[in-house]
Amino acid sequence: MHNQENDFSPEQSLKLITSMIETTKNSLKDRSHYFLLWGWAVMTACVSQYFLKVVMNYPNHYLVWWITPVVLVVQIFFIVRDRKKEKVKTYINEVSIYLWTAIGLSFFAASFIFSKIGWENCYAVYIILYGIGTYVSGSLIKFRPLIVGGIICFPLAAVTAYLSFDHQIIMLAVAILISYIIPGHLLRMKFKKQNLANV
Amino acid sequence: MFKDLDPILHSQLRLAVVSLLISVKEAEFTYLKEKTNATAGNLSVQINKLKDAGYIDVIKQFKDNYPQTICKITPLGIKSFEEYVKNLQAYLGVKK
Repeated sequence: MHNQENDFSPEQSLKLITSMIETTKNSLKDRSHYFLLWGWAVMTACVSQYFLKVVMNYPNHYLVWWITPVVLVVQIFFIVRDRKKEKVKTYINEVSIYLWTAIGLSFFAASFIFSKIGWENCYAVYIILYGIGTYVSGSLIKFRPLIVGGIICFPLAAVTAYLSFDHQIIMLAVAILISYIIPGHLLRMKFKKQNLANV
Repeated sequence: MFKDLDPILHSQLRLAVVSLLISVKEAEFTYLKEKTNATAGNLSVQINKLKDAGYIDVIKQFKDNYPQTICKITPLGIKSFEEYVKNLQAYLGVKK
């Protein structure tokens, strides 16, 4: 773009403003790997826990959740890598960071509360947290599968509280499939298509 | 009406930069260069003019041992941009 001083019309000026603002709309980065990382990790933990508890009758079935700190390390690696590549900070990115930090801290605080009051209904609360995160994230980037996935988590959480612990594990797996895994893969596909279109 | 348009903003590259910065929190110099297709030299000159007018803040820092220039719109920049758009609309409205 050349610097043509004051020699362009107000119509051109308005067009330029619109096109530049449109450009920033496409600055949303593909963050589906976070959903897929946590989605598949939680799914693996749920299936393993169900297998150990229900099929094998193994008393320490909850040990599968030690996958969480491992995933956290991978996530930190992703965050550092994404920050290095980041050339622009959008308000949507900023709000998303605050949102997921709050959700992460909620999981952390909730784990202390459940250690004190018992873990019987922990999954119902966790499903609500998944719902809040995906619903707000989806709304911010206007991505319907995340919005729908997030909303479905709320009735799922309510139903989960009335089920046995074994069934609660299955409900958690269903919730993570609907709110993280399916929207995560769809989001990835959307960005891949967008990138191909831009080539 | 035409003469009322802010001369700082009524320049293609400066207007492009401000339009980009209006909808993001902050952007790197390389991002602005990529989106405006401007040369580094020209962009640098125009950014300095916007900075001198108080429309944008320019932060120079190091990231992984490489110099990095970050640009951010100021409240004055936002106000001036809004005023500019209002004047543009008024001008186009009068023309209609």
